[in-house]
Amino acid sequence: MNAPYSVSDYSHLVQRDRVHSAIYTDPAIFEQEMARIFHRAWLCVGHEAELPNPGDFRATTLGRQPVVMVRGDDGQVRVFMNRCRHRGMTVCETETGNARFFTCWYHGWVYSNTGPLQDVPGPAGYGADFCKDDLGLTPVPRQASHRGFVFASLAPDGPSLAEHLGPAARYLDIYMDASPLGQIAVTAGVHRTRYRGNWKFVGMDGYHPHYTHRSVLDAWRRRPGGNMADTHHGDPFADESGNLTRDLGNGHVLLDFLPGRSANLDRYLDTLRRQPQGEQYIQAMLDTYGEARGRELLAWAGDPHVGVYPNLQLIGVQIRLVRPLAVDDTEVLMFPGLLQGVPDSINSMRLRQHESFYGPAGAGSPDDAELFERNQEGLKADVEPWLHLGRGLNRERLEADGTRTGLIGDETTQRGQLRGWLRLMSETPA
Amino acid sequence: MIVTRETVESFLFHEADLLDAMQVEDWLGLWAPECCYWVPCNDRDANGTDPGRQVSIIYDDRARLEDRVHRLMSSAAHSQRPRSRMRRVVGNIRFESREDEVHTRSNFVLAELRRGRQEVWSGVSQHRLLPAGDRFTIKAKTVLLTQSDMAIDNLTFLL
Repeated sequence: MNAPYSVSDYSHLVQRDRVHSAIYTDPAIFEQEMARIFHRAWLCVGHEAELPNPGDFRATTLGRQPVVMVRGDDGQVRVFMNRCRHRGMTVCETETGNARFFTCWYHGWVYSNTGPLQDVPGPAGYGADFCKDDLGLTPVPRQASHRGFVFASLAPDGPSLAEHLGPAARYLDIYMDASPLGQIAVTAGVHRTRYRGNWKFVGMDGYHPHYTHRSVLDAWRRRPGGNMADTHHGDPFADESGNLTRDLGNGHVLLDFLPGRSANLDRYLDTLRRQPQGEQYIQAMLDTYGEARGRELLAWAGDPHVGVYPNLQLIGVQIRLVRPLAVDDTEVLMFPGLLQGVPDSINSMRLRQHESFYGPAGAGSPDDAELFERNQEGLKADVEPWLHLGRGLNRERLEADGTRTGLIGDETTQRGQLRGWLRLMSETPA
Repeated sequence: MIVTRETVESFLFHEADLLDAMQVEDWLGLWAPECCYWVPCNDRDANGTDPGRQVSIIYDDRARLEDRVHRLMSSAAHSQRPRSRMRRVVGNIRFESREDEVHTRSNFVLAELRRGRQEVWSGVSQHRLLPAGDRFTIKAKTVLLTQSDMAIDNLTFLL
């Protein structure tokens, strides 16, 4: 038995301190999420540094729509609909690779990696009004980037990327500026994980680690060094830690560990110095960014822990992309970024820190996935369909710039994401 | 010890039994004090892949391997509560003695059942074994997993 609700009345489903579980379980709502969020809003497609050479491509989807992100022979990165202009076949059938041309193997139409239709077999069969110039690969309606992060929107109109990102943009900068060159390489491969649960469970949750990740926190206590604990001070998830949750607007949220990490900076710098040439990295950061900003960036450890709504998260070393497959099925891609201009030892340390927690065999991600699956199962018991999201409402601060902050274990982030969700779902499609 | 097909095979079969039964402490006891347990990611082979520049599914030195085993013994390792039920077959075993080590290459097929879902995993295991007294210890093990570039939800059991 389900409590009656209307799938069009989203403001009833998402309230101040509670949310109706139908938004995680109802396939009709998932269909509307595809149309109103994933086929309309700005989505992150990936990072330009995945494609270092002309012709490098990665095929992916925006919502359900197949696209290919490719660096053309002219050096430009473009996102095209992965669809032949003739009969609609996908023209790129492998996930990653390098190609000068995309060939449709149905009838042999050939496109260059910059988009234009290059060749059709038997051109004599087409009349004078057949114009190849009008039949190139279709670009996504809108494309923009920030610090190499490529975003696309399938809607021809809407807010600009800068308007969409708002205050979240500076956290993309923090991720990039862990490199003294301000650049990363995204050539370290990808962890692909999947869970049978709703995509919105990949939240930004400072309340869950004490239970979900107890085994990891126990391991940090058992061996306090050589893992991600090096980047934190004490228990980073304690309400007394000084760490904060932030709601930046438009669904963008973060777990702000900077307070604890600033207190821990000397210890983290010692960890860096224990790596071969580690001192060089510290010095390069201070030289490039100056003492104050350099130390702040070192304290961040390249980990803004930010969620850029709806499908990008920058957590630890990884660029994380969330791909909803069905209302109860989600794929999560984790691309570790390698810092440019740093000693190799720093990047290998960061890869090992990542693997210790994330990926299909890490100590953290699989437990998250397990809990998400139990969550999806529990939500089937919908006699009482409301979920409580009120933690920290009694102490949440509305800042002068319109953002909101709470303590690290407060549900400021969940409420912020759902406000972003509600806004996108409630706007009438153009 | 005398390195024969029988001693090599019985060691690999013994290891497979420990892995299937998740006798993780006993399995840890097979490893040398300095060791490397590596499962490459993204369909990488072991040659020409630099784990310092490529993410791995697992790249454990002794300390990280101990972390992994300790975690699996914790009641809070949710992704192994309940445990995976497993049975693997190890075969196509080749081996050669190289200086003080024995290098083996074997195939495995593993049926894994957990929470009503059965998965079939397969791959190639490469062991570097050190003969020590009447037994071997594992200096390095690399597992080339057939599924290494697929979306994987839970690889918290041991390969």
